[in-house]
Amino acid sequence: MTTIDIPADLNSEDETGMVWTFLDEAEDPSIIRPGEVVVAGSPLTPAVCEVVDLVDKAVGTVVHLRVLPGTIDQYRRLLARVGGY
Amino acid sequence: MIDDREELRRRVRDERPPLDASVVLRGGPDTASLLRSHARRLNRLYVLDGGPVFGVSVFVAYGDIGGTSERTILSGKLRGYPTIYRTTVEVVLRSGLNLLPTFAAPHYTVITPDLDAVADLATAFGELVDNPYA
Repeated sequence: MTTIDIPADLNSEDETGMVWTFLDEAEDPSIIRPGEVVVAGSPLTPAVCEVVDLVDKAVGTVVHLRVLPGTIDQYRRLLARVGGY
Repeated sequence: MIDDREELRRRVRDERPPLDASVVLRGGPDTASLLRSHARRLNRLYVLDGGPVFGVSVFVAYGDIGGTSERTILSGKLRGYPTIYRTTVEVVLRSGLNLLPTFAAPHYTVITPDLDAVADLATAFGELVDNPYA
């Protein structure tokens, strides 16, 4: 089972056109920073995403995510291929 | 009491997809627990017409070309999902759920009457099918 950095519904979009979720749902919110690459979604539907920005709202901090191409397995194979990890 | 949540109605488009030629798509799989989590997230950020709102995101496809075509959605926004739910607007509406065209097309939100009714979503979405473009 893949560990999820931040739960999100990868179908969801807001006015930015990006996937959104709440920062306080992250396992470790400190790694959720703009430009960081994280695994988002659910254990059933994980995806590699780029953290685009964090927006403070009255009800909590919203994280915008850009879903990156490729599957988790493709990234695993890439890392295995380039070595050193 | 002041409600700090945002009004979802301000994000609703003036759009009605053709009932007999529209397909509702959602990347899966989901579980009842996941659907409830997603519905709660929407409820935390938004109200609808000043009241509580529960729902989950879907995409509605219609037409053969352009950004709302099924092929474009499956090969674009849902490309990362090897399996999807595929149903019709008619089935969703007959299930007592409401479909709101929210944010930018082809995004929609399936609105449920309350959190307990989120289980009806799973019934309306039906079985998982393969995404031929994933």
